[in-house]
Amino acid sequence: MLLAPALTVIGLLLLFPLGRILWLSFRDFKLRNLMSGESDFIGLDNYVALLTDPYLWQVAMVNTVVFAVVAVLTTIVVGTLVALLLSTLSTVPRLVVVSCIMVAWAMPAVSGTYVWVWIFDVDNGVVAQALTSLGLLDPSGHNWFADRLFFYAIVTLNVVHGGFPFVAVTVLAGLLTVPAELHEAARIDGAGAWKRFWHVTFPVLRPVFAVVTVLSTIWDFKVFAQIYLMPGGDVGGSDMLNLGVWSYVRSFGHNDYGLGAAIAVLLTLLLLVVTVFYLRALFREDGLR
Amino acid sequence: MARRRTHKYVPLPAAAVALVLAATACGSGGGGDGSAADGLTVWIMQGTNPDETGFFEEANAAFTEETGVEVDVEFIPWQDAQNKISTAIAGGTTPDVVELGNTLTPGFADAGALHDLSGYDIDTDQYIPGLMEMGRLGDGVYGVPWYASIRSVVYRSDIFEEHGLEVPENWEELRETATALAEAEDGMIAFPVPGDAQYSVMPWIWGGGGEIAVEQPDGTWVSEIDTPEGRAGIEFFTGLALEDGTSTTGAVNWTEIEVMESIANEEAAMAILGSANPKAILESNPELEGRIDSFTLPGREEGYMPSFAGGSLLSVFEGTGNEEAAWQYVQHLTGDEFSMRWSEETGFFPGVTAKVEEFSESADPILGPFAVQLNEASRGVPVTPAWTQVEAEKLLVGMQQSILNGEASVDEATADTAAEIERILNGG
Repeated sequence: MLLAPALTVIGLLLLFPLGRILWLSFRDFKLRNLMSGESDFIGLDNYVALLTDPYLWQVAMVNTVVFAVVAVLTTIVVGTLVALLLSTLSTVPRLVVVSCIMVAWAMPAVSGTYVWVWIFDVDNGVVAQALTSLGLLDPSGHNWFADRLFFYAIVTLNVVHGGFPFVAVTVLAGLLTVPAELHEAARIDGAGAWKRFWHVTFPVLRPVFAVVTVLSTIWDFKVFAQIYLMPGGDVGGSDMLNLGVWSYVRSFGHNDYGLGAAIAVLLTLLLLVVTVFYLRALFREDGLR
Repeated sequence: MARRRTHKYVPLPAAAVALVLAATACGSGGGGDGSAADGLTVWIMQGTNPDETGFFEEANAAFTEETGVEVDVEFIPWQDAQNKISTAIAGGTTPDVVELGNTLTPGFADAGALHDLSGYDIDTDQYIPGLMEMGRLGDGVYGVPWYASIRSVVYRSDIFEEHGLEVPENWEELRETATALAEAEDGMIAFPVPGDAQYSVMPWIWGGGGEIAVEQPDGTWVSEIDTPEGRAGIEFFTGLALEDGTSTTGAVNWTEIEVMESIANEEAAMAILGSANPKAILESNPELEGRIDSFTLPGREEGYMPSFAGGSLLSVFEGTGNEEAAWQYVQHLTGDEFSMRWSEETGFFPGVTAKVEEFSESADPILGPFAVQLNEASRGVPVTPAWTQVEAEKLLVGMQQSILNGEASVDEATADTAAEIERILNGG
């Protein structure tokens, strides 16, 4: 009974749009249908078109998955390292460092992306000028935004920069709950820093890592602004789109809302599978704590 | 409204900041939203034209005085226009009146988003035919030409004079002028070849003798971008960047906004720009007064090369319940008084043919070559609702960028793009 209000809110805010997207993905829905409100059921046509499109397998899927794996790993590692640093600091320096990383966290994705684009501006960016003055880059410059690897390296920097503070603060909260005796005992047994982390800290923090990993994965699978706002990130056939941006371009650029919805459904399914896999792997050994 | 400032080293954020400021400034400046029932919402496009807030304050005050209807104008960046309109249709939050680029009008008219104006008394013959054509679909009229914009070349007359350079009269002379500038002005961009500005690419396709797409007798479309004629122009234009070094690597990511800023910031010596740009450039950098001029795009061997005749139509949205008042507002802006004032303040040409001449005679001499371009060498995009998708997918941008980035040869890129254009226009 007490759950009823919460379930109603979840139902309205989550299930309705989800159901609507699912419904849309089975329909022939273009700009004209948006106006009239009427549309035809076309079965799995959108999904067939989607799954047989080489762009999905060669570009969008690869970009989405490889980027998410790299970005999640980097975010977790950087975030954990910062958390470990924070846990060794005394109150005042910790406050200073936490305030600094909060600034990164508070930066809206749109402004953050423009700043990164500016840093890497091909002609006048800080990076280009530094590399040129060091003689590492030809004065005519290099268009990194045209190179898939460079493009996603910049996106990764951007996303990790915005994502690691959450991991750091969450893991820090967990670290503070690890009993000091455990570390002492390990140290007496002759365990080094790495062994103490891996055999003492990590097992205790397993649920914390599960949460930050799952959340980071979800966020990194569906990054949008950080790609769409980069040069080349909004060009229909470019090599730079991920599933989220592709879905948007198909829907609102091409006005093919049915296919756009099908891409969104695919992305959701992919996320569900990955999340279930993660949770099982993380909790396999000793069950839920 | 934020005025564009001269940022020496930050072209991208400059545009972003300007847009953000513009959005917030407009949000707070509206007022009177409470009486939405008897107020009109109007979406006006914003990009490389001069500051427009003053014009709309006066035009709206005059309209309110005349009709008692309050008007709230919101400025939408050009590159977001299509997405914002689609999203607004989906969310049922469309404005009452919208300025639509002439290439976008057929797509939205075909979808049924726009109110058919043919029931009102419109003299369609008075407008520039190429613009009016884009507002028609079947027997309906879905937009009224507001202004025409045309692209030619804006150049630094002081630098030309300093090095004894003449205005080029064919492609070869253009190449020689550009390479001479690149050599003489170290650290300056002689002639930027932008990657994200499709209307700077189109003239070369036409100039070489090709068409973007031609409708066959059986109703299908065939693109000529990958014919020897179409390729010749693309080859020449991209060659200026790739072989002659008159551009800069970063220009691959430039839209028309960055091209304009490169002239305003005194970084470029000449560039393809629209007729509303000189005014905006002087607004942002008054020190260039008297040091910029323009010339009509030169033809391959002689004469002029066709340029894209852009421009905007004002359309009324369907189903807002305010169609009548919205139509009155369209008449108000396209009427004698305010259409002429708009042209005088921006440098765009009036949408009424008779007014173009009147305006050209009285206008700043810098607009002369643009008037020649509009009257003697202008062209439109294929007239079909599906063209909207070609622009939305940024096909010409993708083609230009892949060539400039060295990812594809001119032959490969043009063949791919021609095939894609045909697929979309033929409903594939």
